[in-house]
Amino acid sequence: MNNFTLSSKSGPDVAVITPKGYINDLGAECLEQASEQFLDKGMKKIVVNFSEVLFINTIGISIFTGIVHKALESDGLLCFTNMKKIHREVFEMMGFMKHIKVFKSEEDAISFLNGRS
Amino acid sequence: MPFSALPEKDFFGRQDELARLYKRFLQASGGSAPSAVLSGPRGIGKTELLKQLFGLLFWKQGAVAPFYYAANPALLSSSAFSRSYLVRFICQRLAFEKKDQALLYQDGMSVENLSVLAEDRDAVWAQEILEQYAHSAGDPAAALRIALEAPHRSTLTTGVPVVVLIDDFHRLQGLHIDGAPDSRLVSLFEAPFSFRKSPHLVTGNLPEIQEMPVSSGLERIPVQPLGSEAASSKVLSLLRERGVEGGPPPLLLDYLGGNPFYLGCFARAACEKNAPGEKDFMNAYIHEITEGALALFWSSIVKGLFPNLATRRTALAIVHKIYHAAQPLSCRRIATSFAMTEGQAETIAHALYSAGIVRGEFGVFRAVDDRVLLDVIDGLYRKEILAKTAHDIELDILPKLQPEEEGVVRFDMTLPMTKEAELVAAQSLDQIGKNLRLNPDAVGQLQIALIEACINAMEHSKGADNRIYISVAVDKDRLEVSIESAGQEFVVQETGEPFGDREVAKTPGRGWGIKLMKRFADDVRFEKTARGTRIVLVKNLRAAADVRREETAERE
Repeated sequence: MNNFTLSSKSGPDVAVITPKGYINDLGAECLEQASEQFLDKGMKKIVVNFSEVLFINTIGISIFTGIVHKALESDGLLCFTNMKKIHREVFEMMGFMKHIKVFKSEEDAISFLNGRS
Repeated sequence: MPFSALPEKDFFGRQDELARLYKRFLQASGGSAPSAVLSGPRGIGKTELLKQLFGLLFWKQGAVAPFYYAANPALLSSSAFSRSYLVRFICQRLAFEKKDQALLYQDGMSVENLSVLAEDRDAVWAQEILEQYAHSAGDPAAALRIALEAPHRSTLTTGVPVVVLIDDFHRLQGLHIDGAPDSRLVSLFEAPFSFRKSPHLVTGNLPEIQEMPVSSGLERIPVQPLGSEAASSKVLSLLRERGVEGGPPPLLLDYLGGNPFYLGCFARAACEKNAPGEKDFMNAYIHEITEGALALFWSSIVKGLFPNLATRRTALAIVHKIYHAAQPLSCRRIATSFAMTEGQAETIAHALYSAGIVRGEFGVFRAVDDRVLLDVIDGLYRKEILAKTAHDIELDILPKLQPEEEGVVRFDMTLPMTKEAELVAAQSLDQIGKNLRLNPDAVGQLQIALIEACINAMEHSKGADNRIYISVAVDKDRLEVSIESAGQEFVVQETGEPFGDREVAKTPGRGWGIKLMKRFADDVRFEKTARGTRIVLVKNLRAAADVRREETAERE
């Protein structure tokens, strides 16, 4: 049984990661690796599309700390999109929202990022 | 008869058990009935079953003779016991031949008079045993052996097997010659227990019987609690006997656990009113466990075990701790908690175990499966240690007796502690929400809290049981999810809040689970249970619906 999968795509300037299912420690680690790979390649604008995220737990979220720090260290920009209200509340509670930008849709995030140099 | 059994019409719910015992001991004729012990908690009806079996064997057939003896704490000197045992046996055995009920009452007869009677009845076997017994008067152990083996000897001589029924057998561990209990005396039962044509059926306090040197020769026959129908019939019969109308609520009846002694005490207390209502029945129960016959019964056992007041208070506090601990307690743990030596803790815990007040397995002690006893001990503890009033105790106990509100829908599930089991719980809650058309936001929030609670249960269980017990209760305004698991205590007693697991706390970002539960549930409770620990998450559905309406209006 695999309750977490991940897909990603990248344009010239922006990478989009779409996690699917349950983000626990293992799911978040996959997400962390994927974002690291993009950052290592110099792709500094990353969108995480939450549309297919079913559940998220606090162990998974805690791993997001690493993703956020790495993005900040690399002078990157991290955007979350398609977040359910409950997931947004969880991230807010854990103090993440000040470091990331949230958009209603992936397209909104991409057009925002494309507008930035 | 030398004892009083219930009339057949008042002997509820045990006909099948009685029939099985009857059949089992009729097989003594073929020499294939092993000795046994009836086991079960105090008040479950072992003695009554023994008496009913005697009546059945005595009156309904002529092939197997019954002999009933109730151990008397006043007759524990070897000489007094052996004389009493032998005289009663011969009286009952002679009575059986002619179904002579009057002879059953002649248990105070002297050995000499009994010899004369045996001669009159041409019972040579009895005369020989009595003669041999008289000759052994100077040797109490030899006299005891003769008395104990008399049923078997009569079987061999007359060809009529004897079933020996001994009540309160545990008392015989006190048999003595010069005042000090001598286990060698009770071990003289070993040979009689092995005779298949004169099998013994004993009963009494099992933890004590198990420690007696002859227990290995006894097969265990558990006596089950009365079923709900029989329990109800028993209570109603007692109420009607006293001209009382009405009957107790089924939930309360169920609470008494099918224990005939508890049912009897409760019914008698309820008879204070001619037409008791639901509240009166609840008051009768509370009266019983705080100051009635039931409370007296258990508190006298505690007093008997610990005559010294200070020790008794400590013992009470220890039982209370055992009952409310999340996991079984070792003597070391008890000793640490109560600033005593392990030896002292062991003495107290063992006495409580022997009395059937706590269960003991593999060196640890846990609560018994008896809600009434738990309430009695809680009541005693609150009264004696916390100095609470009867009213306070009533307020504590009443909610447990209340029925669930109408319209409550409940789902119970047990999950193995396997990888991502919390997802099964969360998905189930989602489906429950859809089926019952609950506010999806409220369900979503509680799903997140439930996932955290399940993870918490798995982190704290340390492999104790490897199961999570989840209960979801829904009514029109409220969604309540309880997550129970075995495992170590993680609630700080003084505050009722969980303390952090140091190992878990080392994991980056951990420690948020409890905060998250509190954020998304309207009420979070941490409770110690007999099984371990329970987290209860409550969501107010009406408030959540209001928030949703406001948000929709804002969007529009």
